Amino acid sequence: MTTTIIWTIAILSLLGVVLAVVLYLVAKKFRVEEDSRIDEVEKVLPGANCGGCGNAGCRAFAKACVDAMNLDSNFCPVGGNDTMKKVAAVLGLEVKEKAPMVAVVRCNGTCENRPRTNDYGGYSSCRVKAALYSGDTGCSFGCLGCGDCVAACQFGAIKMNPQTGLPEVDQEKCTACGACVKACPKNIIELRNKGPRGMRVFVSCVNKDKGAVARKACSAACIGCGKCAKVCPHGAITVENNLAYIDFTKCKLCRKCVAECPTGAIHTVNFPVVKPKPEPAPAAKETVVKEKPETKEE
Amino acid sequence: MKKTFSIGGVHPADKKISAGCSIEVLPTPQTVYISMSQHLGAPATPTVAVGDKVKAGQVIGEPAGFISAYVHSSVSGTVKSIGPRPDLAGNKVTHVEIAVEGDEWADGIDLSETLVTEIPADNRFIIDRIKSNGVVGLGGATFPTHVKLTPPEGKKAEILILNGAECEPYLTSDYRIMLEKPDQIVIGAAIMKQVLGGPRTVIGIEDNKPEAIESVRAAISRLQAKSASYSGIEVAVLKKKYPQGGEKQLIDAVAHRQVKSMGLPIDVGAVVQNVATSLAVYDAVMKNRPLTTNTLTVTGDCLPADRQKNYLFRIGVPFSFIIEQSGGMPEDAVKVISGGPMMGKAISNLDATTVKGSSSILYLTAEQTVRKPESNCIRCGKCVEACPMGLEPYLLNKLARNGMMDELEQNAIQDCIECGCCLYSCPANIPLLDVIRVAKGDVMRAIRARSAKK
Repeated sequence: MTTTIIWTIAILSLLGVVLAVVLYLVAKKFRVEEDSRIDEVEKVLPGANCGGCGNAGCRAFAKACVDAMNLDSNFCPVGGNDTMKKVAAVLGLEVKEKAPMVAVVRCNGTCENRPRTNDYGGYSSCRVKAALYSGDTGCSFGCLGCGDCVAACQFGAIKMNPQTGLPEVDQEKCTACGACVKACPKNIIELRNKGPRGMRVFVSCVNKDKGAVARKACSAACIGCGKCAKVCPHGAITVENNLAYIDFTKCKLCRKCVAECPTGAIHTVNFPVVKPKPEPAPAAKETVVKEKPETKEE
Repeated sequence: MKKTFSIGGVHPADKKISAGCSIEVLPTPQTVYISMSQHLGAPATPTVAVGDKVKAGQVIGEPAGFISAYVHSSVSGTVKSIGPRPDLAGNKVTHVEIAVEGDEWADGIDLSETLVTEIPADNRFIIDRIKSNGVVGLGGATFPTHVKLTPPEGKKAEILILNGAECEPYLTSDYRIMLEKPDQIVIGAAIMKQVLGGPRTVIGIEDNKPEAIESVRAAISRLQAKSASYSGIEVAVLKKKYPQGGEKQLIDAVAHRQVKSMGLPIDVGAVVQNVATSLAVYDAVMKNRPLTTNTLTVTGDCLPADRQKNYLFRIGVPFSFIIEQSGGMPEDAVKVISGGPMMGKAISNLDATTVKGSSSILYLTAEQTVRKPESNCIRCGKCVEACPMGLEPYLLNKLARNGMMDELEQNAIQDCIECGCCLYSCPANIPLLDVIRVAKGDVMRAIRARSAKK
């Protein structure tokens, strides 16, 4: 009896030692060389694996940075400049600061502005709805309101506002990863410059119908009149297919267009509400804005 | 023995409420809007200008590609405008607006009701007539008929199947034309048979329409007594099972041949045409009458029996006009569908106009349309049993929701015919078809992009 136990223990121990040696040799022989810097870079990344950078996840991004040894074409939108500085420190590279971006919902077709023409009773998904028909209002370009963007956001930055039926972006939580931009079948959401102190001006409409048609469907639609383009001193506004677009790289936030827009389709965000304080944006200093700017929360 | 397809299928109640209503001619409204996109393929290019006087049957749009079709005016009058107008789904499509003045038809069109039984010998003449008169498949897909009747080099049609199954519940327009115009349908079939080189010709009719079977059989024997060119046409009695009228299902049921994945019926030597298309072919070839009218059913459980209708309508008449003419919308109707309840499209814009393929206005009540809350898939396999294409809808649903494109393609999502059997049979109310349809579109786009690259 005792000899059986002793033998068992002895054989198993011997087997353990032999296999350990085999494993050690195999591990030595087939060792995969991987740049240790990939691990280091991955450690400083946010770890959201959102794919906003265009890679399959944070590790793939770290590998891309190490492989390229150049950060010009690699940018982590979630971590932003802080993270990129850390990555640069790990790799000993230079990094250019990028202006922070934010997702902007370019539709103001609230229940009030845009009367419903029919009820949708199908499966609640914007993609499914868009495949079936143009939507439950007269506007075939506007928000469908089923919240595909909300489902796509990994950071809880978008919520549907039940009052307006439109999604709203929390600019503090938004990382500009672009998941909502891809999820929206109507291409309403755009990544725009966050702007100094979060101040930005944008056309909150994507309707390309002729003015009268667009106006009939939604009282806050861009009718493509072109008044904003004429008044813009910086040439930032273009009107194409009955729709105005403000190029945020040229916009100096003077807000002349906002006052000019007959339908209120141009929105301003985060501008001071009460007294016109000394304007923070350099170009805005040159132009005296007399009228009180209307501030709308996004 | 009654024939049917081998796998899948469901049995919805057939509800042919309007079957007893004979076809009435719908009056012409003040204005019609004729869509330039009434067929599968490239939209037609308008050939008239604002202010032009047009006659009924005159060409107002010409094909803009190989897969495209002529569009004719269905009324006489003046062109008021040409421009985008929302269709029944709200998408903007170019329409020609015509203010109706009188009812004058273009020259060379035979409007008489006399039956012409002499089939022209020249096949090219026949194809030309079918093409220039804008005939498209009226079974639902509106594929240009002349393209279907000219098989590619090296392929030969061995069987021509006419689809008189009308397997969708409620619809009765095909049934009515089989009762009222069976001779014309059989002549149309004989014309297509001749063009295709004389294959066996079978008219498939479901067994829930015994009168139609009798009527078409009588017409065949009447015509066979007259001329030898009508031999080799027969009626096949099909079991009542949805989707019996699907192209691939019909070939399986009648000829016992299976079209392979992504294949066309002509690959197995079959051509399928709807009975309404056959009637349009007769009108086009024998009477030189363009496809400007079609038959449409107005029906629904909530519609009183005396307001159930089968109309012969001019293409381009707004749906709202037809609703008005048939006594308005019933009060408890919440959804109006163009087409059958299984595959039809809900009309979101009642001002939209009828097109060549319009076959019905169906009113559904809240009770019939409301979606029950979705619950979890328990893999009961009812959708797999129901799928007439042998797919696994529960799996496609899962793959689609996770965006697994390669796996979707491996599981043949591109073969889905969007019949809705899976959605109909799912006890957990999972929106299978909604999800699969969108994913199928994505996969088809990827396949097309890949073949374009090669």
